[in-house]
Amino acid sequence: MDLSVLDRLKWLQQQQLVSPEFLQIIGSDGREELKRVETYLGNNNDELQSFRHFQEFGPDYDTIDGCISRTSSFHMEPVKNNEDNRAIALHNKRKLEGKTEQREKKKKIKAEDETESSMKGKSNMSNTETSSEIQKPDYIHVRARRGEATDRHSLAERARREKISKKMKCLQDIVPGCNKVTGKAGMLDEIINYVQSLQQQVEFLSMKLSVINPELESHIDELSAKQFQAYFTGLPEAVSKQSMMADFRYFPLHQQGSLDYSVINANQTTSLGAKDQTSSSWETNSQCLYNSFRTDSVSNFFSLK
Amino acid sequence: MASADKTINTDVPEKDVFAIHFLQSLSNLRTQNLFNSPDTTNYRVRKIKKAAYVSMARAAGGTSRLWSRALLRRATKGNNKIVRFPRKKRKVTWKISSKRRRSDQRAPVVEEAAERLRNLVPGGGGMETSKLMEETAHYIKCLSMQVKVMQCLVDGLSPK
Repeated sequence: MDLSVLDRLKWLQQQQLVSPEFLQIIGSDGREELKRVETYLGNNNDELQSFRHFQEFGPDYDTIDGCISRTSSFHMEPVKNNEDNRAIALHNKRKLEGKTEQREKKKKIKAEDETESSMKGKSNMSNTETSSEIQKPDYIHVRARRGEATDRHSLAERARREKISKKMKCLQDIVPGCNKVTGKAGMLDEIINYVQSLQQQVEFLSMKLSVINPELESHIDELSAKQFQAYFTGLPEAVSKQSMMADFRYFPLHQQGSLDYSVINANQTTSLGAKDQTSSSWETNSQCLYNSFRTDSVSNFFSLK
Repeated sequence: MASADKTINTDVPEKDVFAIHFLQSLSNLRTQNLFNSPDTTNYRVRKIKKAAYVSMARAAGGTSRLWSRALLRRATKGNNKIVRFPRKKRKVTWKISSKRRRSDQRAPVVEEAAERLRNLVPGGGGMETSKLMEETAHYIKCLSMQVKVMQCLVDGLSPK
């Protein structure tokens, strides 16, 4: 530990958080007690790390969060997904439970389900001093961090922020190149840029499509249906008609007019499951596509090729 | 494309579903007789882009996602006999705006970026930040799928 016990004690006194009981315990066990108290910290390791790097402290520094244990706890969820082994130590230290139970209040929040949270259950919070564990299975317990306010709003906010950071981690897996940037702001910027670039790509490709098709009338004969299928790599070769029909039923009408049932009827007349039949359906589709774009105008897209 | 997220379900259907919907919409464009005599290329481009987005919204799950619902609603402004929106129990709107007012105090860094995201993702205006993140994840997956489909199409149709 970087900070000495006495220094921390002084800080505690300044903040008027200390009960004489706590002082006694601090005085007697010293470092061991503090170590045990450390294991009580929740899953946010960032704060703990910032705490570790402190060399001096005073009432004016702002990363006191995570410094000193609070007398109340507010369980979010059982600390299972913590990579740090402190969480495991937390579960294993029963001795800790015995001592700190007396000082801690547990705030219970009734929740509808575990992910949805504590926000909705604000009205059901009550302070109880218990030494027992969770009584009802649908309560959510969130453990407060050291140096943090224990009123219901900030706890709920912390729970909400954790939810958001969890979801941002999921987003991080999806967006490529997000691993290098650390911190929420940078990651969010990356995500925003990615979405913008995807939308620009869609626009670009639609421009390309609008230009490319008029020139292709001469190429219709060359392009066989099997080639067309191969362009969608990963597509199953036999597109089953049931899936197509299911899609049509779900979205009965297209937004720009009535559905072109001639295409569907052509599919229906062919037999199911035969490869050449499905290829002929693609053929009709692609021919419809080519016939749709007839124009004489030449756009500036030639330069882009 | 199955999702690996355990917390959020962001499953997106396979590429062929997107392809089918897109080709369908493109073939429907021709019934409108647009392309015989378009006034400008821009007009055609916009129509194709709109068709791409709408087909993507349909392929990705119709009205079961907030962003797709907002997209479809935007596309069918006047004549809404086309898409059926399931009547879900809606929260009262004043609640959403009150959440918004408080959210400015919460982690302003995150909220600024969330505001920008709301402008990008369709339907983002009425969502809370956590819900916005889910929708963004699903939206990104669908967009990338649509881009792949269109890219394949363009490559296939381009002269060799």
